[in-house]
Order: sequence, then C-alpha cells, then structure tokens
Amino acid sequence: MVLNRLNDLKNIVAGGPRKKLVLAAAQDQHSLGAVLKAWKESIVDPILVGDTESIQNICISNNYDITGLRIIHEPDLLKSVEMSVRMVNSKQADVLMKGMVGTSALLKCVLNKEWGLRTGNLLSHFALFEVATYHKVIAVTDVAMNIAPNLKDKIAIVNNSVSCLLRLGYIMPKVAVLGAVEMVNENMEATLHAALLSKMNQRDQIKNCIIDGPLAFDNAVSLESARHKGIKSEVAGDTDLLLMPDIEVGNVLYKSLVFFAKAKVASIILGALAPIVLTSRSDSEQAKFDSILLAAAACK
Amino acid sequence: MILTLNQMVEKVLSVKRKYRVAVAWAQDPYTIGAIHRTVSEGFTDATLIGRSSEIINTCRSEEIDENLFQIVEADDDSIASSMAVGMVKNGQADIVMKGLVGTDIFLKSVMDRENGLMLPGAVLSYVGAIQIPAYHKLLFITDPAVIPYPNLDQKVSMVSYAVDMAHRFGIPKPKVALIAASEKRGKHFSSSADYSTLVEKAEKGEIKDCIIDGPLDLFLACDKSSVEIKGIKTPVNGEADILMFPSLESCNPFYKALMLFARGELAGIIRGTEKPVVVMSRSESSVSKYYCIGLACLMV
Repeated sequence: MVLNRLNDLKNIVAGGPRKKLVLAAAQDQHSLGAVLKAWKESIVDPILVGDTESIQNICISNNYDITGLRIIHEPDLLKSVEMSVRMVNSKQADVLMKGMVGTSALLKCVLNKEWGLRTGNLLSHFALFEVATYHKVIAVTDVAMNIAPNLKDKIAIVNNSVSCLLRLGYIMPKVAVLGAVEMVNENMEATLHAALLSKMNQRDQIKNCIIDGPLAFDNAVSLESARHKGIKSEVAGDTDLLLMPDIEVGNVLYKSLVFFAKAKVASIILGALAPIVLTSRSDSEQAKFDSILLAAAACK
Repeated sequence: MILTLNQMVEKVLSVKRKYRVAVAWAQDPYTIGAIHRTVSEGFTDATLIGRSSEIINTCRSEEIDENLFQIVEADDDSIASSMAVGMVKNGQADIVMKGLVGTDIFLKSVMDRENGLMLPGAVLSYVGAIQIPAYHKLLFITDPAVIPYPNLDQKVSMVSYAVDMAHRFGIPKPKVALIAASEKRGKHFSSSADYSTLVEKAEKGEIKDCIIDGPLDLFLACDKSSVEIKGIKTPVNGEADILMFPSLESCNPFYKALMLFARGELAGIIRGTEKPVVVMSRSESSVSKYYCIGLACLMV
C-alpha cells in the first residue's frame, strides 16, 4: 500500500484504538487549535499539561470547547514538559507534542536517560508531502533535525523512516538518495554515501526497502527524466522516500515545496519511544493538524 | 522590468537583430528542435557543427528544413566544440551552444587558455532565471550546475554575474538573498562566514548596484508574511530577486523541484566568458531550452 494523499492517514487511524496525545506546555494557541481539531475529528484523545488558567483563557477567546478534556495543571514550563515526557515513557500517552516551549528544552527532556524517550536510535525528522504534481505522497528526510549526517547517521535516518513507512502500510518502500548528480563523484561526499547505502541495501544490511542513489531530484521523481538520462533504476520516477544529503539541502527543498509548489505537509520526529510532533509557528494550521494525524497513524 | 520569460523573448525580438549561434556537435533532435524555434521566430542564425549527414537526417526526421541552418562538417565532438568556440572567438558568432557533446569536453574548449572564451581571471559559473507561477516575478539563482562548493571569491563572482543578469532584465538594484537553512549564523553552516563577508563587501560598496542580506532561509527570502511573522528586519524583505545558494547540492534540487512540482520554467547560461555559453541538459523541457537561447541573446 502507498499513500496517495495525506487524508489517507485517517483510514489508518480509524482502524485502530484512539491514541493519546500529550501536549506539553499546552498554553499555546497555535498548537491547541490543531490538537482540538484532531480531537473533534476523533484522531487523538488529547491530554493537556500546562497552566490551566492560560489554557482556559486561550480557549475562551478562540471559542474552543474543551468540555470533557483532561487538563493537568503544571504552570512551570519545564516541569510540564518533564511530566508530559514521563507520561509517554510510562505508556500513559502514545504521542508527545510540543506546545509553548522551545525545541531544545523539549528535546533535552526526550533524551533524559532516566525517564526520557531514548531508544538508542538517532532522532530524525520525517516529513510527508502531498504535491499535486506527483502521483503519490512523498516522504522526505531529514530536513530539520540532523545538520550534516555522516554515513552511520544516514543509515539510522533511513531505518527510522522505513520503519515508519512500514507502520503506515508500505511494503518495500522505494528510497532515493538525493545527489546533485547521478554519478558518484569523489569530491561530493553525498554521492559516496548514496552509493554505499545502495550497496548496503543490496547486501541486506539495510532491510525492508529498495535503495538507489545517487539520484538527482528530477530522476528521483520523474520517470521521463530518468529515461532521458538512460538511468535504469527501480526507484527512479517512483520514489516513496527521498533522503537528503544534509539540512542545508533539505531545508530549502522543504520550504520550496511548501511555498512554491503549495504542498501539504505533515512531519514528526522519529527515533524516540513515541512519535513527537514538533511544529513551528510558521507552520499552517493544516500542517499542524496533518502532523498530529501522521503521529497518530505512525504509533506502534 | 522583465517579469516573465516570454517578456524576455519579446525584448530580444524587439532588438530586431539576428544573434549568431554556433552549436557544437549538433546532430541530436533535442538540440536541433530548440535552436530551430529561435531561428524560425527570427532572432537567431544558427551554425550547426557536427556530422553533416546525421544533422540532415535528424532535420528530416523531425520535419525541419535543414536549409534554415548553416551546416559545418566536424568529425568528432571535441573538434566540433573547439570549432564552435573558435567561431565566437574570431567574431563569426555571438553565442556558443552545447549539443550532444558531454559537458566536460565542451567546457574544456570554452576554458582553453589560448583559444577559449574565459575572461581574464574570471570564474566559470551558471546563472538561471526561473519563472514560477507562485512568485510574482522572476527569480535568479546561482549556481545549480557548475561550482560544487563555492569559496568566497567564487561567491563574489556568482553574485556579480547574477546582479549583472538582473540589470539586463531592468532591475536596477536587485535584492540578493544568501540562502541557508536558517537566518541564524552558525558554526555548523560552512557558508556563514562567507555570507557575513559578502554583506560587508556590499556595505562598503565593493559589490555594487544590489542589496544583499543573509543568511536567510527561503521563507524570509521570498515570503513577505514570514518576515512579518518572524519580526525580522531584512532589506530583502521577502522580495528576493536573486537567490545565492551555499552549494550546487542545494541549488540543483531546488530548481528541479520547482520545474517538476511547481510548474516552473528555467532559462540559464554560463557566465565568466566573453560571450554567452549555452549548456542545457537533455532532460530539460523544450520550452526551457528555447528560453535558454533567448536568455543568451539578451546577454550578448
């Protein structure tokens, strides 16, 4: 199975028990709106941890109805994050979401050795894009978390993403390792990584997916471009997952798809005990909602 | 001010001059198709250099009248390249264009110390003009094709080529955004120091007739509302004319994503030479190829 639209995630969520999402430092209008929408649509059961009074004030001024919603009062920002993380650690919640708190503070708690959400895996960012001009949803990693991943990191990033895609119902997803060129160039490290990842995949060192690279962007997503170049590849033109060389490349691509290609996007952090929703202020309300939906669908 | 690539061609047509194009190793249908359109619209005269029998055969199978072109016999791709470059060198042509010959062989002729076209001390680089429906004007980008990891001097040249091109499009003081993953300078990002220097050079007047700011992410460069939301003061102000990328690795997938996912069209040429040099990849659309030749005419 592949996802044709982000909305297809709703079918996955509808098929299982309702997931619990804990919103850390929930006194944040931007994330609250999306969480409550997901609640109304039965995507998740939210637990709000934060300053009750501020949460209620936000809800009143935005006409959010929170009757029946579980709120845990913890006015201290850092303590509310710790409490939220502990709830996920002890399986009282299935998804962690960031509210009115900085990313680094949240990640520090996630990485706590005693009560955090460490699994031994690298944390990585995973985004799903719905672009009108591509025949299915395309996953892109890592555009936000790992700055300049080395080969070992990239293996971990692929494994995180492939496990997530399998949970979403994919079988043997097609992974394109992005390069500026499709030839291995000894001066461009990303192309060397790409060749090694492809070979490791052939040798079953990276499983459950088909990896090819380096592939330039056009060859990864367009069969016609790949044919023009005479590239023979199972992945070319039919990519499910696009692995970025580094954050500089990924960030620009992510933003160009959102801004210029009007893509819909959902994104989560993988590699922890549970999916983490880390949206930013500049994300649209829809992107925040879709990210919650993705997190709920990607739960084990 | 020229706002679209069609307006660019109109501007070229309004000059009422036939630009002389020498095409190296011209026997393939893609090259002949692109140059044919500019010849039949009346703004170029083309000399096709290569195996004349193959050129004639290709013309006939494409239903193109071979008598529209001057055809010059050459036995191999490297000879054809140096002949085409030579025509520009001795004033018989205004523009040199790559046909079926590999880019490396072609550029070797262009860069030849004695018989090539390099300006003294110049850096070879590629500048493109992209038209995207989601942006209100053309966006000039550098460098998606030639310099993998530009150093400071190369970045200075890249900016000056792009600024020069923007001037030809009637933009007296183009806004240059130095693109990174974030507007924050950081030791993780190799371009940060160079970007600071470029901004300083512009302030001191060493880089003229443009406004430069960076690092900026793509949103701050091209989206006014992001600038407002983030509350960041930048003279580029979400209205960039020129995007300068930290590497070919980030610029290449950017423009390809715009071509394939955002209905973009690209015109691009090589700079650093006495006269415009046209290098197109086979996978570019025929419209983009036509625009590349149009751009070269504008830049003569």
